Amino acid sequence: MIRNIYKIISSPKIFVYTVLWLMVLVFFGTLAQKDIGLYASQMKYFSSFYFLFYDFIPLPGGRLTLTLMTINLGTSLFKKNLWKFKKIGIIILHLGGLLLLLGGGVTASFSSEGNMVIDEGSTIDFIDDYHRMELCFVNLSLADSLEYTVFDEELLNEGNNIKYDKIGFEIDIISRIKNTRIQRRITQVDSLYKGFLKEFVLLPKEPEKENTQNRPSIIFRLKGSQNNADGIYGLFLGQKDLDIYEFKNQQFFTEFRKERTYLPFSVELIDFKKVMHPGTNVAKSFSSEVNLIESNIPRRVMIQMNEPLRHQDYTFFQASFIEELSGESTVLAVVKNYGRLFPYISSIIMSVGLLVHLLFNLPRTIKKKK
Amino acid sequence: MKYLIKITTIIIFTFFTHNLFAFTVGDIPIQDEGRIKPLDTYARNHLLAFHGKRSIAELDLSATDWLLNLVLNPADGKNIKIFNIRSPEVVSSIFLDWDLKHKYSFNEILPGLRNQTPLLKMIDEKPANERSTFEKQLLELSSNVMRFEEISYLKSLKLIPPSIDSPNEEWISPFEFILEGVEPNDYQGKILNALQQYLASRMEKDNIVMESSLSNYEVALKSIPSSLFNIDNLKRERWLNQVNLFYISLAFYILSFIILGISWMSKFTYTRLISFLILLFGFLAHTYGIILRMIIMNRPPVSTLYESVLFVSFIVLLFSIILEFFRKDGLGIFVGTVAGAIFHFVGFGYANDGDTLNMLVAVLNSNFWLATHVTTITMGYGASLVAGFIGHLFLVESVRESTNKKYLKSIFNNMFGVTLVALFFTLFGTILGGIWADQSWGRFWGWDPKENGALLIVLWQLMIIHMRLSGLAKPIDFALGMALNNIIVAIAWFGVNLLQVGLHSYGFDDGVAKNLFIFIGLELLFSFGMYFWSKTSMKNNYSINR
Repeated sequence: MIRNIYKIISSPKIFVYTVLWLMVLVFFGTLAQKDIGLYASQMKYFSSFYFLFYDFIPLPGGRLTLTLMTINLGTSLFKKNLWKFKKIGIIILHLGGLLLLLGGGVTASFSSEGNMVIDEGSTIDFIDDYHRMELCFVNLSLADSLEYTVFDEELLNEGNNIKYDKIGFEIDIISRIKNTRIQRRITQVDSLYKGFLKEFVLLPKEPEKENTQNRPSIIFRLKGSQNNADGIYGLFLGQKDLDIYEFKNQQFFTEFRKERTYLPFSVELIDFKKVMHPGTNVAKSFSSEVNLIESNIPRRVMIQMNEPLRHQDYTFFQASFIEELSGESTVLAVVKNYGRLFPYISSIIMSVGLLVHLLFNLPRTIKKKK
Repeated sequence: MKYLIKITTIIIFTFFTHNLFAFTVGDIPIQDEGRIKPLDTYARNHLLAFHGKRSIAELDLSATDWLLNLVLNPADGKNIKIFNIRSPEVVSSIFLDWDLKHKYSFNEILPGLRNQTPLLKMIDEKPANERSTFEKQLLELSSNVMRFEEISYLKSLKLIPPSIDSPNEEWISPFEFILEGVEPNDYQGKILNALQQYLASRMEKDNIVMESSLSNYEVALKSIPSSLFNIDNLKRERWLNQVNLFYISLAFYILSFIILGISWMSKFTYTRLISFLILLFGFLAHTYGIILRMIIMNRPPVSTLYESVLFVSFIVLLFSIILEFFRKDGLGIFVGTVAGAIFHFVGFGYANDGDTLNMLVAVLNSNFWLATHVTTITMGYGASLVAGFIGHLFLVESVRESTNKKYLKSIFNNMFGVTLVALFFTLFGTILGGIWADQSWGRFWGWDPKENGALLIVLWQLMIIHMRLSGLAKPIDFALGMALNNIIVAIAWFGVNLLQVGLHSYGFDDGVAKNLFIFIGLELLFSFGMYFWSKTSMKNNYSINR
């Protein structure tokens, strides 16, 4: 029985089928990027164990396919007729391939990424997530500090009710909008709407293909203030003038922002430079001159295209920039990836495998020729 | 053999001596599109944009002569019918009559364009991807007409290098010196003087003064203290423009193919050898063209789509020559000449877009990764295509010579060997690409269209090889697989650019989509047709033999 199962899962047919299916996924997943954008297509076809074709037929996704392929490759290495001295190159080659797939698994499961937007002259010590949002209540009434209370993405689903006893909050999430159009109200509204929502209304609009170009927003109802702060509030990403309200004799404001991950160090942007090919609009290079500040000691670093900064487990890349009248800002992509060495090691192992195979087979080939 | 060595020496000698040529007016450096190029290239590219050709055949004028005549005598130049307008819609929108030649002069076009100012303004304000074909063409014409006028009064001719202490690297046109009253420094003054002297003597058709003023020009250029450009490279580029090595290699490939055909019909054994020799000459010109481009731009062989075509065909030819060297039966010559000619025509299509030696965007501006990843993956494309061509041949031969098992086996072995080499390059090219992406964007793999395209080739080849090794596929199935591999290479190479998404989307072209679909259709038809035909002929033979 076990032998039979082993025979099936290690069979080269499984490899052929998984490769074939992966090709189908890659092909349609790539085509889909034109319609639903890179991120959505990646989530649907590649970073999923299964997906629904036409919303009702479940089909295996990229992760399941690659997992099967890894198991197939792993088990096929135990075949007896493979372990012969003359096949040592092939064995090494396949071990390298296995390591590459395992590395992909590690990266898919444990890596995190985000970005860091720094204005010239300012210092930042956190990373913004690309997709996840958070709702943050800031208490302004403490004597010597600000108190932040942050609610994560998981808590912010439509219809959720959040109770926070420390302050006495109760929040109902009324709606989440993926991409928001802001419109001025024409008619007077009920006193239920507070702050910004008194004059404006948040409406959904067609989401952009790339999620990062959307302006998400949230509408929630605040309860438990025992005064007129109770009511419906609306917040959108990047909102400038935030409403300050009184809640149990303490002043608060609320912010809807990208989920932050704080770093054990901070980065200050000294200067952002963009060099163009003379007389054209084609960029020749981008670079950010930054101070990496750790325990209050700055270190000067240049981050440029193809030359990232690696520090602790994080890597900072020059990803983009923002040019405004008020000044320049750099956008650094930040990645924490425990699997990043796998491709390097596995490609070396695979090259060694190929070389060994070639060396073992060369004498035979030449002999045959003779 | 003696003759062979003699001819090769002569050809190599003429190839390498062009740097000793005198400085000509076409070698004058000019800054355009972010780089310093010879005036000859500048004139050719502009004439190509206006006229659709790199010289004016009707007037027997080279591009440089046309440009200089325009500068010296703008009044006449504006009456020459130089603008080739291919769209009748555009012609009628500027109040002109369409005729078969559809060539118009600056003075004919300008009044009509002036009348269309509000329309042009409207088009200009539209986002580029929302413009219709007509709108794109009209806008292009208007910018060409503006460019033409700027050339006519020397405004866009950035001929004078900046002074050493200048903050930017932008060159200055003679017009700017006159208009802004900038005081030229020592070498700028010398260059301006030589230019003035040259133009004046050209006007008077005084050849002796023209020559001496050009040598003054060269002396002035050499007196510039920094290394802003390399005069030898300017000469090389002008020479490359004039000689057009890729046309020469195409001619050799076609000739070699014809002689190969003759060798198949005749019994004379030397014809195959002659054909091989001619192929080698073509390959020499081809290789030297690529090397010159590398020297001129100081970068690895492949950095644009056009260069990838040149380099892939170089790799295909290299493999074919090795194949021919070992097989000695014309098969390698056949693959090489056909593939070489096809790729040259594809390449000429890209060359007609303008300057082929363009500057690179920031992320590509890395010689190390261009040399490793891009070169490896392009070699992978080349090797895959060779395996694909042999796959086609195997399919054809298994119909023609279905009983000759030994012959078919030898072709199969070649195909299998080349496929392994192809897999090696595509696999490591893709992994290297991942490592580059890890270095510059922070992720090894992002399921970006270009990455997925390369992955498709790797997966397809892995699948076909494993199917063969595990006995799931017979040689004929393997050949079908490798023939179809060509489709996957074409999709990965050209197709992904059509999607215009992701970080890699550079080098987009409208006409490519149509050609790609035609190619895929023909490949499917041919490969499956041959596959089933050979299967039935094998069956028939089997029953006859039995």
